[in-house]
Amino acid sequence: MKFGYASWLPETELVSKFIEGLGNNKLLGTKCKKCNQKYLPPRAHCKCGSTDLEWIDVPNKGRIRSYTIVSFAPESMSRYAPYIVGVAEVEGGMSLMGQLTGVTPSTLKVGLPVQIVAHQPDTDRIVYKFKPA
Amino acid sequence: MPSKVGIVGIGHSKFGKRTDATIRELAHEAVRPALEDAGLTIGDMDASVIGIAGEEFAMQGAPAAVVHDYVGMGNKPTYRVEAACATGSAAIRTAWSLINSRLHDVVLVVGAETMTKVSSARATELMARAGDTRWEYPFGITFPGFYALMATAHMNEFGTTREQLSMVSVKNHKYGAMNPYAHLQREVSLEEAMKSIMISHPLNLYDCCLISDGAAAVVVAGEEKARQITDTPVWITGLGAASDSMLIAERPTLTGLTGTKIAVKSAYEMAGIGPSDVDVAEVHDCFTIAEIMAYEDLGFCKKGNGGKFIEEKQSYIGGKVPVNIDGGLKSKGHPLGATGVSMAVELVKQLRGEGGNRQVSGAEIGLSHNVGETGQFVFVHVYSR
Repeated sequence: MKFGYASWLPETELVSKFIEGLGNNKLLGTKCKKCNQKYLPPRAHCKCGSTDLEWIDVPNKGRIRSYTIVSFAPESMSRYAPYIVGVAEVEGGMSLMGQLTGVTPSTLKVGLPVQIVAHQPDTDRIVYKFKPA
Repeated sequence: MPSKVGIVGIGHSKFGKRTDATIRELAHEAVRPALEDAGLTIGDMDASVIGIAGEEFAMQGAPAAVVHDYVGMGNKPTYRVEAACATGSAAIRTAWSLINSRLHDVVLVVGAETMTKVSSARATELMARAGDTRWEYPFGITFPGFYALMATAHMNEFGTTREQLSMVSVKNHKYGAMNPYAHLQREVSLEEAMKSIMISHPLNLYDCCLISDGAAAVVVAGEEKARQITDTPVWITGLGAASDSMLIAERPTLTGLTGTKIAVKSAYEMAGIGPSDVDVAEVHDCFTIAEIMAYEDLGFCKKGNGGKFIEEKQSYIGGKVPVNIDGGLKSKGHPLGATGVSMAVELVKQLRGEGGNRQVSGAEIGLSHNVGETGQFVFVHVYSR
């Protein structure tokens, strides 16, 4: 299973574990054991330099901080266009980029509460997406 | 205490869809007038610093080597600089450092890019890959998309309007129409700018800069040498640079660029000036919202008042700070590596009083603000007569 609607990077151990979590409807981040910094999306190494991080379960609820409706997509994404990309603040103060579905022009707004759910855009691909809570 | 560094020669190619030239010919088109302007020959250059953002756009690996050779630099040392859309300003900063380190005394800076050799869809793809390919690109975010996220947030928080975004475009096209080197030398009406097709809501076609080919060049020299070369050197009196998190979602605010605020503070301090001293500015208007945020982050107006600043025409000639009066990235074009050097060329012209029908009368202090990616590279330069 590969991550995202489009990508070509190899799935590292970190991403494989994140994907596995998504498959079980879990949103996984990492936390530095040295400085307690939390990362979502997860990182294998902390910005403080530490390599000692642990996996944490992150609540799959958030709030839309901003959004855009992409009409002109990159080549690799043209079959999905138009689509909405948003930034959601997840409970706990971390923020994520993702696509947002299930909204209408009247419900699409900054501050919209969302759920973060797993989504399979293709048989061999998995991603998370935002939908109204 | 660093020594003074001055710009003693400027050159600019025509920006546009240049089917007649590849990156080497464009560089030549900018370098020759820069040397002529300085009254020097290519043999007088101690080294070159060449700013080109992407080999995929140039369709040439290590394109700086091609440019260095083509303009006749021969066996002289050369450096290739890359800082995405801020490449040209990074190149000038590098030249300043090389001169202050006493490694070189006269440095040729060339910024160049060809972007129209690939299709628009391909260009969108290549630029999207400058987002984080692990955690951003996989969602289909584009470069207009990143700035659209900032626009939505800015409009939501400060009430900035769709009309105010278009007003930036109207201004930049007005001045671009007066610049013979601009890609699109055509005025647009507010109605036309507002009605154009959506690229990434809320940004439409006229909110987005052009995809262009072009080059610009400056000859940079240490103080003593600069005074020997010309009676009208333009001095680099302030420099500031900063960065920001790779993931845009990680930033505490989406309504401005923290890197701009940090960089401009350093540049003002080094130059010993404040925002009200700036007579003319070149800011990074890759998208209209970027220019509005720049007014605020550079201190030309209060945070949140950028929309009002353009609505009151404070960034027109005659306003508080004339901004992008060469057309900006929007109308002049944005050949990535060339942009920062092109900003320097325009400011040197203004400070020499060679701005023609776009001259800001009595301009003594100019400021350039060049942003790479979504603020991961920010360079601010202050120029003085």
